[in-house]
Amino acid sequence: MNRLIALIRREYWENKGAFRTTPLVIGGIYIAFLLMSIFTTAHFDNEMYTFREAIRLLAEQTPEFRSTHGSEVLLGSSLFFTIVLAFVVFFYLLGALYDDRKDRSILFWKSLPASDTLTIASKLLSAMVLAPLLFWVIIVITQTIMAGIASLMVLSVGENPWTLFLSVVNPFKAWALLLVSYLAASIWFLPMYGWLLLVSSFAPRIPLLFAVLPPVVFAILQVWITFLETFTFNASLFGLIGEWVANSPAILTAQVHDGQGTLALGMPLTKDFDHAVTVSNILDRLFSLQMAGGLAVAAVFLAGALWLRHRATES
Amino acid sequence: MTSIISARGLTKRYGRMVAVDHIDLEIPPGRIVGLIGPNGAGKTSALKAILGLATFDGELSVMGKNPSRDRAKLMEDVCFIADVAVLPRWIRVNQLLDVTEQIHSGFSRDTCMEYLAQTKITLNQKVKQLSKGMVAQLHLALVMAIDARLLVLDEPTLGLDILYRKQFYSSLLNDYFDEQRTILITTHQVEEVEHILTDLIFIQDGKIALDTSMEDVEQRYTELMVRPELATQARALKPLYERELFGRHIFLYDHADREQLEALGEIHTPSVADLFVATMKGGKS
Repeated sequence: MNRLIALIRREYWENKGAFRTTPLVIGGIYIAFLLMSIFTTAHFDNEMYTFREAIRLLAEQTPEFRSTHGSEVLLGSSLFFTIVLAFVVFFYLLGALYDDRKDRSILFWKSLPASDTLTIASKLLSAMVLAPLLFWVIIVITQTIMAGIASLMVLSVGENPWTLFLSVVNPFKAWALLLVSYLAASIWFLPMYGWLLLVSSFAPRIPLLFAVLPPVVFAILQVWITFLETFTFNASLFGLIGEWVANSPAILTAQVHDGQGTLALGMPLTKDFDHAVTVSNILDRLFSLQMAGGLAVAAVFLAGALWLRHRATES
Repeated sequence: MTSIISARGLTKRYGRMVAVDHIDLEIPPGRIVGLIGPNGAGKTSALKAILGLATFDGELSVMGKNPSRDRAKLMEDVCFIADVAVLPRWIRVNQLLDVTEQIHSGFSRDTCMEYLAQTKITLNQKVKQLSKGMVAQLHLALVMAIDARLLVLDEPTLGLDILYRKQFYSSLLNDYFDEQRTILITTHQVEEVEHILTDLIFIQDGKIALDTSMEDVEQRYTELMVRPELATQARALKPLYERELFGRHIFLYDHADREQLEALGEIHTPSVADLFVATMKGGKS
């Protein structure tokens, strides 16, 4: 266990830029935009008339309305973080078992009494838990700072932020939901993570090419063949991956629900699952047949990555 | 005492190429063994098999373990420096010490700091900021601070200046080595290690050309320097190898009668380098 923690810490050190600096920069951008919009408003409207009016309109709404929409704002403003997190994890996994082969530091890592299984576990856990957790912590900090700035603004025009939104919106619920969806998405996307680690363990160079090209060629052939036969799209690997993303338990898009626009799990294009953002809908995905199939595929890919890692120092 | 390394018919193939060809080895504890051979002789392939970095055919046991299967367990008692400069470039020195300390139960941070104090390396530096020689110093300090039973060094002093090389070998001998430990070294600078070796293994074309202790070298081999006019007589005694130096003929003999040789000229114990050249050239013809 200590060895695993030591290895995960090593991943953090190597990828500080991607895991920590990147979300910090995004948080900074959010805060900068907020401040910029405040200055813009103040610049053109030094009586802050529109702002007062907006607050008045908001205060007239029911607490339920403010609560729901407050949570939606919290979850919705995490979307950009989520998309960047996906890219960070993608490129992290692609390099995870490749970079040390390229710079030959694998010879040092293999001189330590840590098994290849433990090494791969540390990389997988860094992608599944460490990176999302760091992003999540920084989202929480960013949103807390933004709520603070917004409260000051509300105070400055003589209104009470406590009754307006601070006491009404429960941020912990939104944040807990976000964290659960991040961790669930890590499990959901395991087949992709497994594929990336396999490529990372195998690619003699340019892992990106080896990760993308085979599925694309395979899918194009599939599309072509099905096009000749039936003109369907779903049968191809593209369709499968698209569906996988659409069904994912990550909060990715919005949908119209009961006549109102709300956030959605994945993309509300498929009918396999309920896309409303709830914990039970997230769990539904994890205990589904699709997930079982995905885990089986992930196991094959990971076993392949391990097998290759064992032989990575052959020549 | 049982062997640290024991191999029977150890073979390594890369496709059709045979890098290591049915090698038998027994290395007992408490030895400093020099594994010496020309480039491409199979030294690194043999070491990789011993360190669990490559699969192999034949039997190989390192401290009772199969290296290919039990690398992680084996590394608790083995350390190695495979080639030079393989430390990750992004890591800071203190992070490197941290991660080694947490993963390796036999690592002593204090010992490592003592070795580092003799260098210009500071804890906050990243490996990529260090010169090539300093990276080697760092790696050596790290490895010597690990309480291992087998230390494998593959060209350990490449890129180091002469002062540090001398210092390295003397601390290896004085501070690190004891009768429980075994050190296996490969190097091209034979002259540097010959005074610390207890055993010598020459490897050529994947086969062992010579496997002997240094005491045996002294007993078995004699170098004879003669004037040109006595060369024919010396040649008649079947030398292993002959070379010329400043008009003198130098012959190297295995199991020769020393009295007989002394009558012809000056005799010495050959240097490892000369013995190496003689064995390699002799083996070829």
